[in-house]
Amino acid sequence: MVPQPLPRPHTARILVVEDEVLIRALIAEELRLAGFSVIESGRADEALTYIGAGEQVDLVFSDIQTPGSLDGLQLAETLHGQYPDIPVILTSGNANPKRAGIRGMFVPKPYDITQTIALISEILAQKSPGKPP
Amino acid sequence: MNDPCILIVERDLLVRTPLAEYLRECGYLVLEASNAFDARILLEDGSRRVDVVLAEVPSGEASGFALASWVRRHLPNTQVVLAGTIATATEKAGDICQEGPALSKPYDHRLVLDHIQRLLAARDRNDRA
Repeated sequence: MVPQPLPRPHTARILVVEDEVLIRALIAEELRLAGFSVIESGRADEALTYIGAGEQVDLVFSDIQTPGSLDGLQLAETLHGQYPDIPVILTSGNANPKRAGIRGMFVPKPYDITQTIALISEILAQKSPGKPP
Repeated sequence: MNDPCILIVERDLLVRTPLAEYLRECGYLVLEASNAFDARILLEDGSRRVDVVLAEVPSGEASGFALASWVRRHLPNTQVVLAGTIATATEKAGDICQEGPALSKPYDHRLVLDHIQRLLAARDRNDRA
């Protein structure tokens, strides 16, 4: 059985996967100020578990280098196969996207938060035209 | 004036996220840490004054008590609330919510506990499958 959602209005839910807690807190706060609901995870494997438990996630923004049994690239691959409706944006400070074999969206670190939020908004708008954040 | 700030320290994302979302709906600014080490980083960063640290500390785990001791020593104006179980943590969140800046609770804290338990059960089923 899929867990029942808590009684809350629909706002787009962004799952941020980043093991550096200060970076994660900063991007999460900016996304919340922009009107998104944000789930903060330090590990790609627990992010996948969270989605697998039936929670709504509209977009994943993940670092590539994450601790645990899965890295960001593997998370993106798994989501692409199992949850193709969830767009994934990957980020890294030292990965060459071509060499790393990244097929989807990539934002190099350090990223501009305003531009990153604009990119997220644009992707979500394409996914669900007419819906507010 | 800034919203009062709560730091939740909880290892399990399936527990931490519903608790954090509940407290945000009660009007708090909520920071999240998955362990005492990250909690210390957020507290030492100092860009936010943390009013309350809410930590679920499973029995036998020393890191939560060490964190509480550190907070009492270095941040005497920060209240520390330790909870031994998920149910207690949810109840304490309900108490904190009652005193929060929002005029009324968005929903009963027992709904949060129900939600967490459903998520944990779903994870267990997925792990078995």
